[in-house]
Amino acid sequence: MTDFPRLLALLVNAGVEFIVIGGFAATAHGSAFLTVDLDLVYRRTEDNLSRLARALEPLNPYLRGAPPGLPFRFDVDTMRSGLNFTLTTDAGDLDLLGEAAGGGTYDALLPRSEVRELFALACRFVTLEALIHLKWSAGRPKDLERIAELEALREERDGG
Amino acid sequence: MTRQDDELLPLSLAASPVIEAYKQHIDRTLLRENLRLTTAERVEKMISALRFAEQVRASRVKRHTE
Repeated sequence: MTDFPRLLALLVNAGVEFIVIGGFAATAHGSAFLTVDLDLVYRRTEDNLSRLARALEPLNPYLRGAPPGLPFRFDVDTMRSGLNFTLTTDAGDLDLLGEAAGGGTYDALLPRSEVRELFALACRFVTLEALIHLKWSAGRPKDLERIAELEALREERDGG
Repeated sequence: MTRQDDELLPLSLAASPVIEAYKQHIDRTLLRENLRLTTAERVEKMISALRFAEQVRASRVKRHTE
């Protein structure tokens, strides 16, 4: 099972700039669905790539679903040449997105995010409205039920 | 037209009949209960449910191998 507190603590304490999206953000907003991985949009500056690579190094990040033994190293060069990474780590599954579907870069999502306290950490989460937007943009049939729940959540939150 | 880095792609979020159909089956009592909790409590609740699901799965595997 993904160790959410451990992953978030490592990243926040290393000063990594990221925004929580996906199922874990939905949970933070009140969704009743379970989620098994952590989805983050990270800022693609050189400094942040270094912080991210350093923070994750002790967790032995590896490409999820790739055959064992591939010469994969999660470092700044790897991140520079890629954008979105689905990783398995010693603390569980972690999806790192340079850009989520719908144009969700860190800079685009920053004004559509909010800091919430979790595990004694200040974590930045995408807003419920932006999360709905990202889910729509992903265009996956499996997300329809999730979108419906998020819309219902927004109505309940706003007293509708 | 070019897109700025700090913009999301435009998207029509007009009410979708598909989503409206799904919405009818959402258990809103669960959502109302969750909305009364703090962020930390919501996450703790989800993690507890995951642990429970994992225990059930593990006990099933154990029963099948016995």
